Parts: sequence; structure tokens; C-alpha cells
Amino acid sequence: MRSTNAALLCAILALAALQATGQPAPPYVGSEACGLCHEDIAKAFTKSPHHLVDIDKKRGWDGKACESCHGPGQKHADSTSPQDIRNPLKLAAAAADKLCLTCHLNQPTHVGRLQSSHAKDAVACTTCHKVHADGPDGLVVRKPAAVNEQCSGCHLNVWAQFQRPNHHRLPEGAMSCVDCHNPHGSFRPAMAQTFAANEPGCFQCHGDKRGPFPFEHEPVRFEGCGSCHEVHGSSNPRMLARQSVQYLCLQCHANLPTVNKTRTIGVVPPSFHDLRSPVYQNCTVCHQKIHGSHVDRNLLK
Amino acid sequence: MRPLFMVAMMLMPLTRVCAQETAAADATQEPAKPDAAKPEAAKPDATQPAAAASPVPATESWLTGWIDLGYRWRTDVGGNFDAYRTFVNLGSGPKLLGAEFTLIDPKRRWFDKIRVRAYSWGGEPYQTVHVDAEKSKLYRFSADYRDIAYFDFLPSYADPLLSRGILLNEQSFDTHRKMGSYELDLFPAKRIIPYLAYERDSGTGTGATAFVTSANQFPVPNTMYDLTNLYRGGVRIELRRFHATLEEGGTTFKDDQSVFQNSGTNYGNVLTPALGQITSLTGLLAAYGIGGSSIYSKALFTANAASWLDLYGQFLYSQPDSSVNYQQKVAGNLLLQSPLLFYTSQSYLLSASAKLPHTTGTLGAEQRALNRIRITESWLTDRLHNSGSASSNSIFTSSSTSQQIASVLSSSLVNNYNQAEIDVFYDATSKLMLRGGYRYVWGEESDAVLPAAGLVSSDQARLRRNVGLGGLRYRPIQKLSLTAEAEVASSGAADFRTSLYNYQRVRAQARYQAIKSLNITADFTALLNNNPVAGVNSNYRGQQESLSLFWSPAKVWNFQGSYTRSTIYSSLSYLDPGTLQMLPSIYRDNANAATALFNINLPRAAGSKITAGGSLFTSSGSRPTTYFQPIVTLWLPVTKHISWFGEWRYYGYGETLYPYESFHASLVTTGLRLTR
Repeated sequence: MRSTNAALLCAILALAALQATGQPAPPYVGSEACGLCHEDIAKAFTKSPHHLVDIDKKRGWDGKACESCHGPGQKHADSTSPQDIRNPLKLAAAAADKLCLTCHLNQPTHVGRLQSSHAKDAVACTTCHKVHADGPDGLVVRKPAAVNEQCSGCHLNVWAQFQRPNHHRLPEGAMSCVDCHNPHGSFRPAMAQTFAANEPGCFQCHGDKRGPFPFEHEPVRFEGCGSCHEVHGSSNPRMLARQSVQYLCLQCHANLPTVNKTRTIGVVPPSFHDLRSPVYQNCTVCHQKIHGSHVDRNLLK
Repeated sequence: MRPLFMVAMMLMPLTRVCAQETAAADATQEPAKPDAAKPEAAKPDATQPAAAASPVPATESWLTGWIDLGYRWRTDVGGNFDAYRTFVNLGSGPKLLGAEFTLIDPKRRWFDKIRVRAYSWGGEPYQTVHVDAEKSKLYRFSADYRDIAYFDFLPSYADPLLSRGILLNEQSFDTHRKMGSYELDLFPAKRIIPYLAYERDSGTGTGATAFVTSANQFPVPNTMYDLTNLYRGGVRIELRRFHATLEEGGTTFKDDQSVFQNSGTNYGNVLTPALGQITSLTGLLAAYGIGGSSIYSKALFTANAASWLDLYGQFLYSQPDSSVNYQQKVAGNLLLQSPLLFYTSQSYLLSASAKLPHTTGTLGAEQRALNRIRITESWLTDRLHNSGSASSNSIFTSSSTSQQIASVLSSSLVNNYNQAEIDVFYDATSKLMLRGGYRYVWGEESDAVLPAAGLVSSDQARLRRNVGLGGLRYRPIQKLSLTAEAEVASSGAADFRTSLYNYQRVRAQARYQAIKSLNITADFTALLNNNPVAGVNSNYRGQQESLSLFWSPAKVWNFQGSYTRSTIYSSLSYLDPGTLQMLPSIYRDNANAATALFNINLPRAAGSKITAGGSLFTSSGSRPTTYFQPIVTLWLPVTKHISWFGEWRYYGYGETLYPYESFHASLVTTGLRLTR
């Protein structure tokens, strides 16, 4: 019985193999045929970086770049029906991304992909990237103003924060969202960019806050700039998270020191800090090196 | 202005070469071949007009682009000019408002294409220029330069003298940050891509700060200069099923700040006598000589281990260090409280150093073993250990005595952060994706300065957090998509009183193309965070709702607008340092922000249009603020290649609690756009 089953299995496999080898070659028509109808796209595509797929024989799609994403086109060429060709724009995001990642996964851009909320929320590559396009922006917008417009199309509430008076200079076009965020993902929270391998991207511009300091202020290292600043924009000076400095500092500096290991960091200031006096209401007048000091343990200089 | 000038000078010879080559290429170009040259077999259907009417590509110009040159007038600023400079800082004068051009080398000898864009030159606070150059398969080069003016003088930030009627910010500055970034990729699109990069970030300027002594603080001027250079190079190896990037880099850093008072008597913020004497400062020179460097290593990889398995990983290591030589000479009538001593001069020297090794590793995998299910797993560790030391020697001199105080301090700071996460994605249908997951975050932190002084010698905290994750994406029809995600977390420990503890975070978004000419997007986010631990009792609620639409019912006009309402409520108790009584701290911010823009294409004049709109922000709560910026722009074509434009812009800023910071100003700009 066992030998009969094995023989049957072998026969099925052999038949399948025969069928596989007997199948006709995939009915590709080539990019030139596509361009006869899709003239504008084909014209733009010749200047697109993706045109490399069409001319580089090593990639295996020379002369068939269109079909590398859209699939074999013979049926569509015969019928001209949109139903007879794969349109990645109409695919589920994961399926569309899989097409792009066939070539692009193995690039450094995608190392942080699993941490990316874009990937988690099924924001397809084509949401931001134009696969066929040419022009100054190529496959994706590059100008700061255009980048900001694209991101704010989804992140409305974030863009609204930039309308506040204290903000990073994005509305002015001096910066763009991707200066601080990596849209493909990052190991840092909020897909933040990194500087010098693994330091927060904020230090790229704010090098004077980078340190290392002999006397550090813990929030800078433990939770980053966002622990005190509304990093997109704020009504408060210096984009602080509170209306005045004292209330910001007192959020953490409100504990009596204990030996309990599970307590939070930050102790109540010494008693001479009379909060009724204007001097002590402006903590950074004295504690001016609030991001960390090279000189003074109390961050006074 | 110098970098823009340099780029222009660099490009000038190239433009000449290109002009000659284009002329030569034009002269030798053969007449375009008719469509008959195309292979017959490729034509799907001879009846299709598109196939028959394929035009011949026109010869590309070697230079295309535009440049906007203009002049701006600013009215007198009403209200607080320093606040205007803090927020807006635009001035009058001739401006290069923007330029974008593309240069093509027809023979592709040195480059295929150079693209340049520059904005806001001519004394503007945000001057930028960016250059991309490439030659296919040989190199890709990009350069970016920005000169951003930072001015900050808001008395509400740091003015202990306000009660005396003095408007001052003792932490103000007037600086420029200049950032340059230059990167060269060799053999792009090949399997092995070496690259080199250089980045430079510097800040220069002046400001005000306070010189702090035991019994008084003296507002004094300071000068600032810091510079960071970053050099990096590496290689990307991009194979069909595997990629690795190896990079080595390093930085150098220096920060030379000086604080001084050359003449006069400065009585500081405190006028009340200390032990019967009024303290004063008559001379000060403090110089920070800070230098630093770092090296770092970076290794990244991705791999298609199998058709159903992708792997990701990175190893990052950096070790910045710094060394400090601080010198300070002081004269005046000053008080040292411990030990109690009035002194007339002080000489203070300090040398210090710090070293911060920092290691990060991540690993991740995406599995697609089943048809509709994807599972992703990731793990992250980030370990940062800083150690520092400082030795100082201070000599206090009075009329009768001299006292020397020396000290040696050592410090350490440790942060070990870890995170593990698993997510399951389920494609229920082609239109609906569901996901659920779990994240665990844990870590230990500590900070200490020895020998101990004051209330605390070391801080320690732990981080333990369990987070449940969920989300969906639903796209029932092409024109409608809904995305929602939620996080629910429970913590056993946290670093700070305001840290995320027991929190719920929700985000939902809907995008809908109601009709062909109308796109609507709605967005909702909320964060509730609560830390019930005794002595903390923090409560945070933040919520934002947004709506935007783009409506273009006719070619003649269109409208885009957005509105966002956000609310923040935070409640936290703190101990008053003087009385050690628990007091509440409540922060409220209820804000409305709106932007609108009407575009009207004027009939009978192709290319002419009016744009009107602007943005409006109002908030109430702990710091009621209004800020609005209406704008009207008019474009009129003069010739085929020249357009005239005019713009009126208004800035109005109001503070209810700090009315002395309010301002308003109008700006009128006019100029020409030259297009090629």
C-alpha cells in the first residue's frame, strides 16, 4: 500500500512538472507596447529613476519595466480593459507594498520598517511616492514646502500646531517634516531621525545641546526634548509644554527624596526657593544650562 | 550669501559648456523619425488614436527653471518689536525670494542633471540652498545649506525684573545657525555603493544671560560660538536577497561661549541687602573652552531569508566625549553663603570631561507563513552610560582675607531602555485590514553626582510598561478610506511624574472624495494619561479634531482649508519648596487653528491669478494667545517668460496675560518671476 502511494505521489509530481514545463511563457508585451496607449506615462517614465529597470539587463526586466509591477500585459493589450491588468493603486496596501519591496526591501531605507507607524497603518508606498513621475521632485517630493504639504495632508493636527506662534520653521519653508522624522521608520519614538548613528536627530541642528555633559539633566537623555518642549509648536515661549518655566520645572521637581527605588526622578528644590519672589519664578535665570552643564552640578553655569 | 554665490560661481562654467554643447547638439540632431519606425507588432490596435498620434519628444533645453526677484517693504511694527523679531523677523529690502533651475548636460560628460533650488536670500531669516547633481551609474551628489536666524527676546520667558517695570529677557539671544550637509554616493543603483558625507553645524551670535552668585544674579551680555563637524563614510551592499550597510563616522565639536561685564556697576536682580550689604558686580570675564569628539559605527541589514520571512537588524555604537577648561574672573561686592564670606574678587578655574558610550541594537522579523496573516516581531535595546568628572579651584579675595576652595566631583548617568513588540496583521478582506499587538517596555535609569550635596545624591528610576495595540484600515470603496489605531498601556514604574504611565491613545482618520472636485479629510487624536501613584497624582487629557477640504469645482477657482480644535488639560500636584505644602498645578489650553486659501485664475489673462487666505490661531486657558496671518497674492504675466507678482501679508499677535508682547505689522512684496 505504501509503495502504491509513493508511486502515485511520484506520478502526480511528474505530471505537475510536465505541466509546469509545458506552460507557455508569460505573455509579456514589453514597455514599448504599453507606451503606445499610455503615452504621457511612458514619456515621463523615460526620465524617471525607475526607467533603469527598463534598460538594465541585470535586473531581469529589460524592456518590460511596466510589467515588472503591473504584471503580464498581453491580455490587457488585447482587450484594453483595465480589468485585465494589475493596478497597484487598487491593491490592498500590503499587496502594493510587497510589489515595491520586491526590489526595494533590501536597502538601508527600510531597516526601521517594523517600527514605522506608516507600515503598521497600511500606508502604502504609493501614498507618497509617484512611481512613473519625472520632474524636479522625481519619485517623491523634495522641496521642503512640498514635503510639508504632503505630510500635512494626513497629519492635519500636527500641521495645526505649526500655526502657533512658537514653532519650528516649517511654514516658512526653512525646514521640512523629514528633517526630523524618517517616514520609513526609525527605532526612535515618533519615527524620529537619528544623528551620528544613534543620537537624537535634534542634535543635528542643536549641536550645543548635545554634550556629553559632566552634569546631565536627566530628561534630555531619558525621554528627549519632548519631555519639556512641544516640538511642533506651542503658544508658550521656547515651545515649552507649560505657560511659564516654573510650572514646567515643578512638574518633576515636586518630590521629597526617598530611598524607594520605584519612585520617579526629580526632587523638590531647597527651601530658599521662595516661589512668591519673581526671581524664583524664572528657574532658568539661574539654572541657565538646563540641557546639561559642563561646569556646574546645579546647572547654574 | 556666500554659499549661494559659491554655488553660482561653480555652476557658471558648466552653464557655458552646456550652452555650447546644446547648440552643437541642436545643429547635428537628425530630423525626428516618423511613427513608422516603431515596431508594427507592438501596436495593439491601429484604430486607437493615441497610438497613431505619438509625438516626437521636443529637444530639452539645457537650462530650465525660474527665479523670483523682488523688494519687500515692512510697515512700522506696532507693539513689541522684539516679539516681532522673535516670531517673524522679516525685513525690508531687495530679496532673492526663490529660484529653482535644472541644468542638463546633453553629452552627459560630467553630469546628467543638476538641480538647484534656493529660497529667501537677501538678509532673510531663513536662507536655504540645495543642489543635486547626478551622473547615471557613476555618482549622485547632494549639498544642502541653511542659514537660519534665531532671535528670542520674550520677557515672559525669563524676566525677574518685570515687577520693577523692566522688560528684559535674561535668557535672550540673537544668533545664526548655519547648517551644511554634503553627500556623495558612488555608483548608485549598483550592488556596492560607497558613500562619503560631511555635515557642519555652527551657531554664532550674542545674547544675554545671568551670572549667578550665592545671593544675587546679574544679567550680563554673552557671546556664543559652537561648531560641530561630522564626517562619515561607508558602503551599502545591496544584493537581491540581502542588504548590509556599514558606516564609520566621527564628529568634532567646540563651544566657546564667553560671558562678560567690562565696566559699570551691576546691582543684579536682588536689591535687598544681604546681611546688611548690597551686592554688586563690577567686572566679569568667564570663558567656556569646550571641545569634544566622537566616533561611531553603524551596521544595518535587511534580508529575505525565505519567501515568507524578512529579517531586519541594526547595530549602532557611538562614543562622544567632551573636555572643558572653564575660567572665570569676577570683581565686585559679592557674597558666598557657604562658608559665609563677602569677597571683592574671585578667580575660578575648572577642568572637566565626560564620556558617553551609547549602544543600540534592533532585530526584527516579518513572517507571512499564512496567506492573510502577517506577524511582525521586533526587539530593541538602547544603552547609554555617561561618566564625567570635574576638578575646580576657586580663590576668593576680600579686603582682609583670601580663601581657596577646591573640589573634585564625579558623575554618572545610566539609561538602559528595552522594548519588545509583536503585531499580527490580518487581511480580513481585500478592503479591511485588522491588527493587534503587544509591546513590553522596560528599563533602568540612574544619575549621580558625588560627593553628595543638598537633598539628593543620586536619582534612580525604573520603567515597566505593558502596552496593548490595535488598529484597522478599511477601504470599502476607492474614494473612502478609514484608519484607526489605539494603544492602551499599564505601567508599574516610570521615569518622571509626567511620563506615560497608564494611558490610552487613540487616532482615527477618514479620507473621502465626495465628488470628483471635493476631497475631505477628518482626523481625531486623543491621549489620556494617568499616574495614580501617591505623591504624583498626575492627570493629562489631550484631544484634537481636524477637518480639511480641497474643493475645485471649476478651473477658474479652488479652495483649500483646514480647521483644528485642540484641548489640553493637565493636573498635577507639586510641593512648594518654601512650605512643603502640596499645591495643584493645572494647565489648560483650548485652541482653534484654521487655514484657508482661495485661488482664483483670472479670466482673459492666462497665467494670472489671485490667491487670498491665511492662517488664524486663537487659544484660551493658561496662556490665551491670538496669532493671525492673512495673505493676498496677485500674479500677472508680463511676457511669455516674465511674470509680475505682488503680495500683502499681515502679522498680528496678541497675548492677554502678557499684553506687552503683542505686535502687528504689514509686509508688501513685489517682484518679477523670470522663467526659462
